Amino acid sequence: MRLPAIAERHFLASGHAACPGCPMALAMRHILNAMGPDTIAVAAPSCAAIICGAQPYSSLNIPVYQTSLESSAAAASGIRRALNAQGKHDITVIALAGDGGTYDIGFQALSSAVERDEDMIYFCFDNEGYMNTGGQKSSATPLYASTGSTPSGKPSKKKNLVEIMAAHEIPYAATATPAHLPDLVRKVEKAKSISGSRIITILIPCLAGWGLGDDEGVASARLAVDSGVFPLYEVERGHRYTLNQATKTRTVKDYLQAQRRYRHLTAQELDEIQAMVDASWARLVERCAPVQPE
Amino acid sequence: MLLTGNHAAAWGVRLSRPKFMACYPITPQTPILEKLTEFQMNGELDVEILTPESEHSAMAAYISASMTGVRVFTATSCQGLLLMHEMLHYASGMRAPIVMFNVNRTVASPWGFWPDQTDSVSQRDTGWMQLYSESGQESLDTVIQAFKIAERVSIPVMISQDAFYISHALEPVEVPTQGLVDQYLPPFEPEQFLDMERRESVGNVVGPEVFCQHRKDMGQAMQLAIAAAQESDEEWERLVGRQYGIVEPYRCKDAELVVVTMGSMCGTVRESVDDMRARGQAVGLLKVRLFRPFPAEALRHALEGVPDVLVLDRNFSPGTGGVLHQELKGALFGMSDAPRVHGFLAGVGGVNVSPAKIEELVGLVRRSEPSIQTLWTA
Amino acid sequence: MSQAARTNWTSASTEAIKTGSWRLAVPAYVNPPAPCHNACPVDGDIAAWIQHVRNQAYRDAWLTLIENNPLPAVTGRICHRPCEDSCNRRQLDEAIAIRCLERFVGDMALDKGWAIPETGVSRKAKIAVVGGGPAGLAVAFHLRRMGYAITLFEAQPQLGGVLRYGIPSYRLPKDILDAEIERLLALGIDARTNTRISSLADFEKLRSEFAAVFIATGAAVPKRLHQLDYSQPWVIESARYLEESNAGNSPQCGERVVVIGGGSAAMDVARTARRHGKEVVVLCLEGERQMPAQEDEVVEAKDEGITLIDGAMLQSVTDRKQKGLRLACIRVEFAAGAEPGEFEITPIHDTEFTIDADTIVPAIGQDPDTTKLQDLLQVEGGLVQVDAQKRTSVAGFFAGGDLVTMQRFVSVAFGFGKQAAIEIDRYIRAERKARDVQDQSSVPIEVINTHYHPPAARAKQQVVPALERRTSFGEVELALSGGEAHAESQRCFSCGNCTFCDNCFFFCPDMAIARENGGYSVDGDYCKGCGLCVRECPTGAIVMRQEI
Repeated sequence: MRLPAIAERHFLASGHAACPGCPMALAMRHILNAMGPDTIAVAAPSCAAIICGAQPYSSLNIPVYQTSLESSAAAASGIRRALNAQGKHDITVIALAGDGGTYDIGFQALSSAVERDEDMIYFCFDNEGYMNTGGQKSSATPLYASTGSTPSGKPSKKKNLVEIMAAHEIPYAATATPAHLPDLVRKVEKAKSISGSRIITILIPCLAGWGLGDDEGVASARLAVDSGVFPLYEVERGHRYTLNQATKTRTVKDYLQAQRRYRHLTAQELDEIQAMVDASWARLVERCAPVQPE
Repeated sequence: MLLTGNHAAAWGVRLSRPKFMACYPITPQTPILEKLTEFQMNGELDVEILTPESEHSAMAAYISASMTGVRVFTATSCQGLLLMHEMLHYASGMRAPIVMFNVNRTVASPWGFWPDQTDSVSQRDTGWMQLYSESGQESLDTVIQAFKIAERVSIPVMISQDAFYISHALEPVEVPTQGLVDQYLPPFEPEQFLDMERRESVGNVVGPEVFCQHRKDMGQAMQLAIAAAQESDEEWERLVGRQYGIVEPYRCKDAELVVVTMGSMCGTVRESVDDMRARGQAVGLLKVRLFRPFPAEALRHALEGVPDVLVLDRNFSPGTGGVLHQELKGALFGMSDAPRVHGFLAGVGGVNVSPAKIEELVGLVRRSEPSIQTLWTA
Repeated sequence: MSQAARTNWTSASTEAIKTGSWRLAVPAYVNPPAPCHNACPVDGDIAAWIQHVRNQAYRDAWLTLIENNPLPAVTGRICHRPCEDSCNRRQLDEAIAIRCLERFVGDMALDKGWAIPETGVSRKAKIAVVGGGPAGLAVAFHLRRMGYAITLFEAQPQLGGVLRYGIPSYRLPKDILDAEIERLLALGIDARTNTRISSLADFEKLRSEFAAVFIATGAAVPKRLHQLDYSQPWVIESARYLEESNAGNSPQCGERVVVIGGGSAAMDVARTARRHGKEVVVLCLEGERQMPAQEDEVVEAKDEGITLIDGAMLQSVTDRKQKGLRLACIRVEFAAGAEPGEFEITPIHDTEFTIDADTIVPAIGQDPDTTKLQDLLQVEGGLVQVDAQKRTSVAGFFAGGDLVTMQRFVSVAFGFGKQAAIEIDRYIRAERKARDVQDQSSVPIEVINTHYHPPAARAKQQVVPALERRTSFGEVELALSGGEAHAESQRCFSCGNCTFCDNCFFFCPDMAIARENGGYSVDGDYCKGCGLCVRECPTGAIVMRQEI
């Protein structure tokens, strides 16, 4: 795997409390390394906060402020403005939040922050549920996935955060995974080079919440991309779409079958998910197609 | 300068040179923030202005901005304050010296726009200092003092003034010069902030003992805050000649009855006291300006030897009654020769409390055994 | 006024917390052998040298190759490639074209004139090698590189044995063989050709002059078919036929040639005769798929217009004088036995048929000539007996190659030579303890993360068109181009071989893997034992080990 030299930096320290094999710790490692020293992070109550460490320890080699679950974007805005007031424009503010704190309770604050085009990079670690509280449904939980609050499967679809962010016409919205590290690092670097509101949604297979083995996180994220369930793409200014992995090479079944949260799935439900993924994929491909001049 | 209470507060903020504020509208506070955005637009105030989608986000941003090392101000009212409730705890837990102006307004439901202090007194356990202002002038002066106190003890400070009676009432206000205020209020140099050198993680998870230690620290700071408030007030007096005290006894000498209250009601009581004194009745006023930390010692001292105390609460805590009434009883408990404490819910929901009403209540309770309850005025 | 107390938030990094205590197993960089490695008769580190090819470090690839194999340009053409049969990639798409790559590297070394790194004579003991075929050459090579002075005795005028006198040039061009042998001799080997060592006195003399003697005189005596009268002029022994042709002559024979046998030698005779313009039939006991000859040899032979009659046996021959020979044959069921060379045949009733021919070349295998050796050494079943240390019954005498085994493959002989060299060295050093040979099981396909190995077609080795081949002794199989070879090397899984891809390093969520000189180390203080590094290792070089 080829990664730039910055990937070898050490902005996440060992000894953090993430579960063994946690893909989120892995993603944080590479995000933080790509961000580098001139960064202040906001962390919301989530696994991100757990990974950041308990007082008096910190795993992040940058200043971190831990705010409330719903206020990552607002707290990041406050830091940004305070830095601006001090003329410290060379420091980048990042938010580290989960999907509950982003798709659900923090959605209002996020929408407002990006509407104001706050100069920050927001990282949403999307493990498709409230996994830090033991695995309950969030609006990022996909159709039919079993969670603590939807034990027989979630009856509704996953909210499409990237499209909502794109509809805000923010400078940069992208998806990434810890299985595609060069892509992730490139996106962080790209985001760094842009100003205004930037958001990267990183799919984090939660080993405990999804029912995966300690060593399966990366493989699962890879399957999510290969099956088209979680396409890797970027949207600039709400309209310029780039699909990073242009083909779907696996079935949805390949991706879902390893996960305990889908164990109850019927063949019909599986077909339904496959059809839904195919349709979303087709729409995305259409958006990515170059527009023909009239 | 002829100013409303809101604009007086805005002037106090302008003179304190905050670097960050957020602007989220709510009646009757909105004119404060609008005045400040106007100052900023005119180049009279160098401040970053955030226009968030809610008071909750506003407070979240104040805390983090304060932690980034800048002086922060905001204003709110009733529902806005209640929406902030969660973050008020975060602010005090982070020991962020934020100054916030609250215009007391009835809390829904049902809806109303009237002066009522339930909004702020119900935040009494959030770890914020609370000061109540009686006038536009006091609001201006208190804002400046509040920054000084907050930054000395690292505790956020909330200043409240009643809706309309003060917020929208015009009165002559003396605006101190910027030079004087600069002399009084040093630049903001917090001891702890998001330092690129120290690279601390703040606000993170703690164990029970460490949590307890944080609370003890906060409690100790609250105790220091009483003296800080007092000294800041005295220092202000030396500089501009005005002072308010943390509590203000008015004509309490040899009083047989002292009326205790907060906010705009003090002005009305002050008039009644003058009237009653003119008629030979030994009645005084004890204005509670500092409500948090609760200045128990100062209150006991001020009420020593007073036979009857009448507490007027423009707030209502269902199931308990008047908050000031209950807290004062607690503060005086165990005093030898403690006063009889009578409590009335006067002016809840913005109901007008006239000087005549006050005199009536004074007459009603004098030399009588107090009810254990806070009573509604008829 | 005194400052209000505040508790500092951060006093240390989480590195103070040793999360290593969580784990039950720890990754270990064991680099288990690749299946090709375990299958290789010379114990070749195949994945390692292919990795050098991938990195376009061709000289390193060659140096790795010659650690185990003195003549890679030779084996790169004629090895029976058990490595490819065992290749894990077969289970994904097709095996790596290992032999083609070996030839590519071997040819490049000859092209560039790379010399084998020199080794001075550092040992007092001198060693004699009797027989300059594959086993003898290999023993000489390895012992020379260990610092021994070697004297190599060869009865024939030139070295190479079966490589020279048995294998036709269209499979192994003589210039390639000459160049590789010459390069080997350049190490400083005293080669005495035209020197036959056969009498007891010869061997006694060697014993007195040398510290050890290695005998690998091959198997030059043809097996005979009882159905054939070998005194007839129309019977030509395969070895004689090939030797004559390989010497550049067209052996005297009739127009219609029947070759009897199913091995490589039979194919060599048939295809050689075809090149001399003969009409050729191959008659063999085995069914086509059972033939010991390599599959591509058979295919190429048929392409060249040779008729294969498989699963059939010669019963008798009638010499019809002017009309030529009539061979009476019958179809048979062939069942292979437990050992090489053992089999059982059952004639099928009522399947008799005849073939008309002018010449018969039997090519059913050869036996060692042990007529004189058996006076000196223990011989059983026509083979000189050696133990696991390659020792014969007489101290100081070692033996190998076709003389001692029925596994008649050039690569097996090379491997035997290498093993014998190691054992002779041990004997001379008087080391009692056997070398600690770790018999490790090879990397199974299940641990190879095939995500990192996208499907890719195997390099196709081009061959000269069949029509052209019929009249030419030029090489049939063509070399891979540089691009083809490089592309093929990238298909290799590198089973069990760390390729320093950094996956383990970059995929660790706990920063517990560090780069070290030439590899990686695991920080036991922080490794939580998740196994992600093992899972994402493209080559199966890392395994999880339980910790007690």
